[in-house]
Parts: sequence; C-alpha cells; structure tokens
Amino acid sequence: MTRPGSTLRISPAGLRGIVGHGLTAAHVLDFAAAFATFLESPGRVVIGRDPRVSSVMMREGVTGALLAAGHEVIDLGIAPTPVIQHSIRRLDALGGVSIGASHNPAEWNALKFFTRGGSYLSSAQSEEWLDIYHLRKFRFAGYAGTGRRSEDASAIDAYLDALEAVFPLDKLQRFRVLVDCTNGTSGLILRRMMERFGLEWILINEALEGRAFVHEPSTTKKMAELQLAPLVKTVGADAGFLFDIDSDRVAFATEQGEAASEELVQVVIADEMLERGCGQVVLTNLSSTALLEEVAQKHGGRVVRLPVGRQAVTDSLAGIPVEQVAVAGEGTGAVMMPQQFLFVYDGIAAALRLLERMERRGQPLSALIAGYPAYTILKGKIPVRTRFIPDLFDDLEQIFPEARCNRQDGLRLDWEDRWVHVRVSQTEPVIRVICEQRGAAPRRLFDQVMDMVRSYSQ
Amino acid sequence: MSRAHQLKISVAGVRGVVGEFLTPNLACAFAQAFGTYVGPGPVVVARDTRASGEMLVHAVSCGLLASGCEVIRIGVVPTPTAQIYVADIRAAGGIAVTASHNPAEYNALKLFNGEGLFFNRYERAELLDVYHQSEFRHAVNEDMRRVVIDAETAPERHFARIVRHVDVEKIRRRRFRVALDAVNGAGSRMSVRFLRDILGCDLHAIHADPGKPFPRDPEPRAEVLGELSDLVVRARADAGFAQDPDGDRLAVAGETGRVLDNDDVLALAVDCALRKKKGPVVVNLTTSSAIDDIAARHGCPVHRTPVGEANVVERMRRAHAVIGGEGANGGIIFPSVHYCRDSYLGMALLLERLADSGETLNALAAALPRYWRRSGKFPFQHGRLGQMMQALEAALPGARADRTDGLKLMLEHGWVHVRASNTEPLVRVSVEARSREEADRLYELAASLR
Repeated sequence: MTRPGSTLRISPAGLRGIVGHGLTAAHVLDFAAAFATFLESPGRVVIGRDPRVSSVMMREGVTGALLAAGHEVIDLGIAPTPVIQHSIRRLDALGGVSIGASHNPAEWNALKFFTRGGSYLSSAQSEEWLDIYHLRKFRFAGYAGTGRRSEDASAIDAYLDALEAVFPLDKLQRFRVLVDCTNGTSGLILRRMMERFGLEWILINEALEGRAFVHEPSTTKKMAELQLAPLVKTVGADAGFLFDIDSDRVAFATEQGEAASEELVQVVIADEMLERGCGQVVLTNLSSTALLEEVAQKHGGRVVRLPVGRQAVTDSLAGIPVEQVAVAGEGTGAVMMPQQFLFVYDGIAAALRLLERMERRGQPLSALIAGYPAYTILKGKIPVRTRFIPDLFDDLEQIFPEARCNRQDGLRLDWEDRWVHVRVSQTEPVIRVICEQRGAAPRRLFDQVMDMVRSYSQ
Repeated sequence: MSRAHQLKISVAGVRGVVGEFLTPNLACAFAQAFGTYVGPGPVVVARDTRASGEMLVHAVSCGLLASGCEVIRIGVVPTPTAQIYVADIRAAGGIAVTASHNPAEYNALKLFNGEGLFFNRYERAELLDVYHQSEFRHAVNEDMRRVVIDAETAPERHFARIVRHVDVEKIRRRRFRVALDAVNGAGSRMSVRFLRDILGCDLHAIHADPGKPFPRDPEPRAEVLGELSDLVVRARADAGFAQDPDGDRLAVAGETGRVLDNDDVLALAVDCALRKKKGPVVVNLTTSSAIDDIAARHGCPVHRTPVGEANVVERMRRAHAVIGGEGANGGIIFPSVHYCRDSYLGMALLLERLADSGETLNALAAALPRYWRRSGKFPFQHGRLGQMMQALEAALPGARADRTDGLKLMLEHGWVHVRASNTEPLVRVSVEARSREEADRLYELAASLR
C-alpha cells in the first residue's frame, strides 16, 4: 500500500507525486539539475506549466537548476504540454520541461522532460538522466556562465499556425462544439482558436484554477458521461469534448448526449488516417480495444501491440519509418499522429481530427460511432503481494492453455472474440485486469481472472 | 584559496563561490529551512546585480514556496532597501541574494526577520539546526502561495524614510556637484535617482549600469577608487561617493578627489547625527577612538561591540542609540531610518552637513580628532591565535584588555586589536594611536608575534 510521504514515482518520462507528500522542492531541484546536466552544452530550454499553484514552486526550482547549468530558459507561462513540445521544435531548443500533473488530481504534480524536437526521452536517454541524478554529479556553469531567462507569449499562436496548416479549420466552423476544459490549459488554445479562426467552441470550466478543479481531470468515459454528455444535447452541440489539465488527452460525447468509450478516440482516428492512406501501422498498447485490429484489417493496415506506457511507444516509433505510422495511441484518449502533427500526444489535434472526419463523411458523430461493432471492456484492479506476481502469471497461463499467450507486459491471453490483459500498474501498487469481448460483456472470463488474482492478494 | 572556504554555511547564512559550491539545490534547501523557521507568510526576496543572482532568486523562491511562504520579489535593490521593504510590509522575513563586497564569483543569502533586521545569534543557530536536520515544512498544493512581483515601490519606500530625517530642500538649494561610482551594483539606477532627482545634485555617475559586471574590486577602498577620484577632480565635484554591490557600504571622496578614511566618514556621520539629536552611539571594537572624542563633545556615551553588523545593531537597539556603525567597513547605521547599514542615508547626512556648515568635505575631515591607523590581515594556523594574544598582552603590560572579540589592548595613546576574521581563515590586526610612530610600533609588534 501507499504510505503517506511515498507518492513519488520516477518514470522514463519524468517524475510525479503529491506535492509535500513525496514530491518536494529538493526533488525538483535535483531532477531538474540532472536533466540540465543531461542536455550537455548550454542552450535553449523551453518550460511551461499548468495552473496548479504548486506548479509555480516547481517552475522556480526548474528555472534555477537550468540557469545554474548555463541554459537559456524560455518560459511559456501557463501552456499545454503539446504547445511546449511544439515550441521546443519551433525554437530549435535543446529540450524542455512540462510542469503539471495532467490527468492527476490537483494535489499531484509532475515534471515531464523532452529533448530536441519536443520528443519524449527514449529509454536509453532517460536511463542516462537517472544515472546523473543518482550520482548527484550535476554540471554547473559557474558564476559568469549562469543562464538568462526570457518569456515567450507567442507559443500558442505559433502552435495554431501549425494546426492551421494541417487541419481545414475553415470547414470546421460550421460545428457547434461544447468543451469542458476542466479548469486546465485547453481553454487558452480554444479561446484563441475561436478568435482567429471563427470556430464555435462553447467553453465550460474554462477558468484556470490552481487549488481545486471542478471535477477530477480524467478523460474516462465515466467522466464524460457525468460531466459532459448531458450538456451536449442541452446546448444542441454537434459534439462535446473533455480535456485533461495539460490537454494531451481527450474524451468525447455525441450530439445525442452519449459519452463515447475512451477507447474510441484512437479507433476513429485510425480509421480516418488509414482510409486516407496516411500510413499502414497502428501503434497501441496491449490493453487497448481489439476493434483496432478490425478497423486496420478493413484498410489493409496492421496493429503493433506494445507494453503499456508511453515509453514503449516512443522507443518503437524510433524504429518505424514515420510515413508508415497512421496513429499511435492508448485507450486513455491520448493519441498522436506522427506524420501530421509532431511526435506528441495532443488532445486538441485529436479533437480536430474527429471533427474533420464528421465533416468529410458528412455524418453526425453518433452515426460515426454507430458504424463500429460493439465491443465491451471490463476493467478491475486488485492489490497483490509483489512476491507472488510471477506465480500468478504462470498459474493464469496454465488454466487457459487454449489461449494465445503474450508475456510482453504481464500476461495477455487472446481468444477469437475476447482477450484479457493482466499487468502490474506503473502508477499504483496494484494488478490491473482488462478484459474485452466483441459484443456482450465478457463477464465470466473477467470474474474468473479476478478471482484468481484476488486469491494472491492475501 | 582552500576549497573549504569556497562554501560557508554558518550562523551568518550561506556564502560561497557560485557553481560547484553554492548550488541552486543548496540555496533552495536553505530557503526552505528559512521559510520553515519564519512560518507561512510573505517573504521578500531581493538581489544585487551579480550574474548568478537571477538563478539563485528562482532557487530561493522554490524553497520558500515549498515551505508555504508567499514570495514577494522586489527585483534588483540594495540590501538596506530590501530590509526597509520587509519592515514596511510587515513580512515574515526577507532574503537578499548578495555577497555584498565580495568578488563577483561569490554569492550569498542574507537573512532578515520580519522587522527587516538580522536574527539574533540564538535565532540564527536555531535556523541552522532546522537546515541541518532537514525538518522542513512541506506545503501541499492547497496551502501553497504564489510569487508576487513588486519591481517598483521598494526604492521609493526607502527614500520616503530618508527624506523625513534630512532637510532635502536645503540640500537641493545648494545643487551640489557630486561624483558617483555605483560599481554597476544594485544601487546603480536608484542612486542616480536619489542623488539627481531627490537631492537635486548635478550628478556625474560612472559604473551605474546594472547590466554590466563589476568594473573594480567591489569593496569600496581607496586603492580601487582611482576612477572616482579622477572624476571628482575632472567634474570639480563637491563630493564623490562609492558604493558596494548591495549598497550598504559607502566610501567618500573629498573635493580634491582624496578618498576619506572610512573611520573618518563614520566620525563625520556621528557628528551629523548627534547635532540633530543627542543619544548613545554604538560602534565595534575596531572603530576609531575619534568616535569617543566626538560623542564626548556632544556629551553622549559610546558602546563598543564585537565586529559584525548584527552585533552593532543588537547593541544599538538595547541602548536606544541614535547612530552606530563599523568604521573600517564604511557602514553607517541610522535607526530613525532603519537598523541597517545604509549608503543612501550616509550620502544624505553628509550633503546636509555640507549645506549646513558651508564647509568643504576636506575641511570637515581635517577638523576631526587626528589619529593614525594601520590594519592588516595575516593567514594563521588554527590554535595559534591564543598564543599570539598572550604574547601581545605580555608585551604591552599595563594595557586595559577587552576580550569580547579577540583581544583589544588599550593604552594611554592608542590601542591594538587582534581577532579572527568571521569570513576568512585570517587574523586581522588593527591599531590606532595619536602619533604615526606609536601606530607603527604597535602594528609591527602585533605583526611580529603572529
């Protein structure tokens, strides 16, 4: 179980934790100093933050560490993560830091690190960064070489310029779109997009909040059902979107007031991209819907399944020619379109792509969704004793000898019309069980596996 | 210099060579200890013009915010200005990022309590314990405060206090011709505004660009103020002023360009202050006996303290002193404005005295009681200082001894003071006497015993 004061989680993308209970100022300084050292020769580094009050504290620490290493800090202020990544590329910076805890509750915070071009750190790079952290041998520039800090208020406009080059924004003007910004950064972009391109966004929870968000900033179907879907119909919108705090994830609801499964964001976008001939490969993780295979097959494409987590996607992307990748994503509403809009998870671009599909197909969102066969997914989590995890996987494999078995990330078992994925969470000390079936809910399989896992929890 | 002294964490705060020694990580941790110690509330953060200052301000802000304090950033201002700001807004405390007169590669955190004063020695020890134990307050997001920027009001708050205590109109009417060397320090812009706009001087300023590095050794001593002396002569100025990077120390040149002895500057300031109001005077043990003579003329007592601004201020508060300072350091403390060394108050007092008396600075200095002074510093080995003091005492039988800070031996026509430096591994020797011969004799004696 999680002890108070032990919430700090280090991952290849950065670190996160509850501020004051695990994530401290000292961590911010040390990890940022390690990153500053990792970047080697002094140069430009772009930073931005989310609206959490603790993000100000973290920004100060990150700025101090970067300046001490001699880097030139370009502060975008409150900025969505995709915009920070875009600016790293635009400003030809060495890298960047996004300060903010994305879809986590307000008391959490995180640092995400990026290298040249706005890319996530590869596994090899993040190991180097962590080695520097553990050695505590930070490189400082000395008194005469300390860096200077400047602000750049043009980041959002530059990002919108890039969006405009990819999406037919003029054609999207005819849609009336409701957006729940969850008090996060998406409102900054959408408000400006309205001013510049005349799109009709109806923004709710647009005010940036530092201490408490109006609701939990997750992009699950449940949240969309609760917060977004009823309003879409009430205001007569063509679509509804819900963003997390740093706008890299999105959930949506149809004009009928139906919340869509979070799995569907990548499905619809994969369908659109493959249909247009933009690549053949769909990169996704082992826990995402099998509907992707069905959609890919329709267009003669293929699905590459990876372990859960962005790291596997980042590493895998490096080995596939970019023109082959139609979409990369996860079932959380985080989707990237590497060919057309950088190597970044971008909720805003994903939302625009959905609108574009509605426009191109001339179909309302509900009809687009209805065109897909139903899949039902069940998810559960159970704390277990770490010692017994390998035994659990062995036992599961043995009771289902007829299933195809994949041990890339925990255990995934596949049958013709259903699958189950049992894996260890990277963020909580629990085992996650994800089970999906074409058509009705795979209740029997799910219960059987859950019981098995539960028997290891004592 | 030995590695050990490139970083010093002591009851005086943190001071060190920026880079490998004074790191942002250390500054952040120390600031968090400070924030934990003063409790949640506004903490004022200021800095001087050192290149490393901006970096350290961010690191310090991080630590303060993490401890739950609100950070009020007042930009590049002199230390006395920051202290006055702290007192003005009733903050929980203040941190000035400045290594004062130390070379450019150094930086430091000067710490102030909610009144804008140094902590007393017991508080300083407590704060250091908090730091060493790493028992910091960790604010959660809900309790965390923000950074407030006030880059405007600090200088005006400082000026407002000074003009209440000097006759500004009298100074303005004289339209003094003044030369200034601001060492490109924190006072650069503010000093120009003060001397030109507020005191109405015809100002000739050099090194008043806060964006440039220090053009000289930042400690304002006669040996490094050649440019100021030349400027005084060239501009036919009535006075020349030189500051250190954080504007607490003041050096003064007379109308011939000669840089006055710092003890004489303090003596002039004491005379100015006692002319306004009688009361006790507090100076450190190394300050000239001229102070005693002047105070005696006004019928006022003098109290002596160990070296260090904090010691002088502590004693001043107890004695309700009207003025105090440290002769050799060029620090004048005038409590009606604030209990801090303040070059601005010093400039205003001296200009007012010139206006009042109609005399020149050199004439005023010449009228001071005449003493001969010598001072120097020597590296010494740990444990050798005690022997040196015993030998000195034996060599000067019949002298009155004061042991509150090293050893000061007072003779009929002079004194000698030996003490360990607070900041460097050095022994400092100061002597003063009625005659040059006696001063030389005392100095050579002390130097021979080390």
